[in-house]
Amino acid sequence: MPKWGMAVDLDRCDGCGACVTACHAENNISTVGADQAARGRAKHWIRVERYWEGEFPDVRLKFRPVMCQHCDNAPCEPVCPTYASHHTPDGLNAQVYNRCIGTRYCANACPYNVRFFDFFNPSWDKPLHLQLNPDVSLREVGVMEKCTFCVQRIKATTIQAKSEDRPVKDGEIQPACAQACPSRALVFGDLSDPESEVSRLSRSPRGSKLLEDVGTKPSVTYLSKQ
Amino acid sequence: MDRRSFIRLTAISGTGAALASCGTPENELIRFVPDEDIVPGQAVFKPSVCPLCSAGCGLTVRLMDADADVMRNGKSGVVRILAAKKLEGNAAYPVNAGALCARGQAAIQTTYHPDRITQPLKRSGQRGDGRYAAMSWDDAIGEVVKQLDALETAGKQKALAFFSRSNRGHRSALIAHFLARFGAPASISYDIFGDEVLRRANAISFGREQQPTFDLPNARHVISFGADFLGTWNSPVSQGHGYGLMRQGRSGVRGTLAQVEARMSQTGANADEWVPAKPGSEGVIALGLAHLLMMEKLRTAAAAGRAGAAIDGWSAGLPDYAPERVESLSGVSTARLTRLAHALAERTPSVAIVGGAPLAHTNGLVTALAVNALNALLGSVEKPGGLFFTPQINLAAASKAPAATPSPSESLDKAAAAAQVVLIDGANPLFTAAPEWKLREALQQVPFIASFSTFLDETTAMADVILPDHTFLESFAEALPESGSLTAVVGAAPAAMKPLHDTRATPDVLIEISQKLARPLNLPWMTFEEMLTATFMALPAMTEGSDAWTDAQEKGGWWGTLPARLVTQAAATPAATKPIAYAEPGFDGDATQYPLHFLPYSSSAFLDGSLAHLPWLQEMPDPITSAMWSSWVEINTATAAKLGIADGDVVEIASSHGTLRAPAVVSPGIAPDVVAMPAGQGHRTFTRYASGRGANPIEVLAPARVEGTDALAWAATRVKVTRVSGADGSLILFAGGSREEVRGRG
Repeated sequence: MPKWGMAVDLDRCDGCGACVTACHAENNISTVGADQAARGRAKHWIRVERYWEGEFPDVRLKFRPVMCQHCDNAPCEPVCPTYASHHTPDGLNAQVYNRCIGTRYCANACPYNVRFFDFFNPSWDKPLHLQLNPDVSLREVGVMEKCTFCVQRIKATTIQAKSEDRPVKDGEIQPACAQACPSRALVFGDLSDPESEVSRLSRSPRGSKLLEDVGTKPSVTYLSKQ
Repeated sequence: MDRRSFIRLTAISGTGAALASCGTPENELIRFVPDEDIVPGQAVFKPSVCPLCSAGCGLTVRLMDADADVMRNGKSGVVRILAAKKLEGNAAYPVNAGALCARGQAAIQTTYHPDRITQPLKRSGQRGDGRYAAMSWDDAIGEVVKQLDALETAGKQKALAFFSRSNRGHRSALIAHFLARFGAPASISYDIFGDEVLRRANAISFGREQQPTFDLPNARHVISFGADFLGTWNSPVSQGHGYGLMRQGRSGVRGTLAQVEARMSQTGANADEWVPAKPGSEGVIALGLAHLLMMEKLRTAAAAGRAGAAIDGWSAGLPDYAPERVESLSGVSTARLTRLAHALAERTPSVAIVGGAPLAHTNGLVTALAVNALNALLGSVEKPGGLFFTPQINLAAASKAPAATPSPSESLDKAAAAAQVVLIDGANPLFTAAPEWKLREALQQVPFIASFSTFLDETTAMADVILPDHTFLESFAEALPESGSLTAVVGAAPAAMKPLHDTRATPDVLIEISQKLARPLNLPWMTFEEMLTATFMALPAMTEGSDAWTDAQEKGGWWGTLPARLVTQAAATPAATKPIAYAEPGFDGDATQYPLHFLPYSSSAFLDGSLAHLPWLQEMPDPITSAMWSSWVEINTATAAKLGIADGDVVEIASSHGTLRAPAVVSPGIAPDVVAMPAGQGHRTFTRYASGRGANPIEVLAPARVEGTDALAWAATRVKVTRVSGADGSLILFAGGSREEVRGRG
């Protein structure tokens, strides 16, 4: 059984935001428009955080892409009364949309702010809807949505490999964010395979987990800027 | 009849019955079976080329079946098509190596945009008010033919002005043929953030009138003068890819970056050393570094050759650019200059990059020449880890059609003032022209304007007739990347999907017009495809047993080593006759009345504003501010405190040429005497997503030019800033509060 995880090399990430739009394109994330965005209802399953340090002229800005950390000890899971938020055997924090009743307990519990509530039904001005990815279900009003590590791509590749009677190759599965990333800062793969690229990077002395001390055991490792 | 056809037919009749019962005759079912063998739910991948900027990245388009409302032969209906679902980078394509920027991801929304122009239109209202009525393609083409024939009869062929996007591909070669044979001047591709100044400097320094390519994966140290090469400048995906490898692609070697600029760009945010400098002083810093390298005998003046000879005082070691003087002109301390010079000399290979605001001052050409000379001195020209020029294919030699060189055109404003007929292909100069050029007034006086645009933007809204183009997914997509690859690249791909609307590919429409003129222009090709085929048939096949054209249509282009006869030779540009000395930048506006430098910049999301119509980009948080759907002005923390401006307050920016209002973002990453503002918003007419949103910084710019060129010196305007009111809610930030509650600014 694989254990999916990601390594984010902050020394490569240049903050360009390609991952953000790639995620919208892949996962049918609707834009909410200016008025709703002003009310804090924009949805970005992955975002690029930026941190200012110092004052002019000795000032620095650091970028950090943040998506669901797919924690092994995920605070979002036990609080869900309907088990919509649950842990899969391969290590994903999955969300079953048609079980979700919109209590938003999970979003309250998540320390990473990566869960997004649908305040209204999504809409696309026609014919923008023709772009929708048929592999990803739409989320209706009252549902929590979040990064899935592009579970549809994981499934498709796993099924393909199985039909060809072979293991999934390292690097064969790429979430949309990692695929788009120009500087190759995002590396996805199987943490249960010690030889995989993501395992190798996760063992780096530059590596750390986001908010490690709250005990969430994330599957995402950040490699610090040198 | 096989099972699939049976199911398809029953599905069609079923849908037909359902539609008929809904009583919507306009949705009459079109009864043709798509010729692709569409398997429901199964993805197909086809190549394409991104059209959004001049980088020309290669794409892989993921397509799946979808029921689309389409126009066929004047009738609308529903038909099952293979519809593009997602754009990925083409992994084999040398420029972007499988990656794609946020803008490229959003390119798919141009095809599915709800406000596309879906058929030919004729103006029914006043120019600029956007009221149009439908017309047929025959009438639209006939109208353009009639107007061009009238010019010909009057002997005024030179009064045809053609506004196009800056593009080096086949499309612009076709336009050049059209204009040369008609007798009109060359097309005008005005691009406010374009690199005319750098190309001119490269012609003088290196004999190459071309954008440079940087071998970042092999560089150990990079100094960038204002170039946002990871964000918006030149070939950002190629450069982002190289940057990742420069940082972590080599065992034990980590490349470093210093960035010299007055406002921290996305690239500056990644620098190991960020060096704020006085606006317009970047050239003197480059010369100061060269001076130190020569004085300390780290490099010899002769190493810089022709590029050095273009600079006054070079052979004597630039005695006028001692660190003390450079410090007083630039604000960068002697100690820091010495450190920067040593890094360049010791951390080799090292390379210097220049672009953006430093070249948009009145002394921009000198700045570019100074950085070129610095590169030559460092020995980084055409060397691993340095600067290269991507080999360019000679289209005239490849297609065996004699090169067409129309007479040179006037600058945008003069050309518009003298034109009798204006044709517009994908350009929107009204949005980015300096207000003082009075382009709108000039266009009002032009007797006939036709546009091939896909969207109704400010310039196209002035057109009398609109002949809408297909999007890149619906027609041949092509590009000849000027930079971003060490090998030659000729990008081309056939249409990935069928057109949604009653549009036509502009290159083919131009060919048709050329044939219908009273004096046909006899272009060498009957279709655009013929032109592309001619080029590719001259290239060696990349795959054994295939020809280059068949191969290209599967791979999305051709790349490799060009046969010598097909290489564009470096132009025999004479070296500068007289060495050029550093000149202080000139600024519009009196320093006491207008105390702050105004620095517009190319927006991460919208570039110069040409992408503001795409909703994904409107809602993409800006990398530096996290703003969405907004305009803003960045102002230094101390300056804001002095002026009583808090984050989110509405401020007025006034120059001697205009005023605008926008919310303030108080930032530590900008010099105290500078305010900066992203371009892109402030459209009057540009689809439902961009119209009437935010403000356009270009509207307050002075019409200063970069000396020695026609380029607008867009960084040469001084302004004053005053607080107007508290936050008005127009600044929308993604970060800064919990998602359910609006706090603080905005």
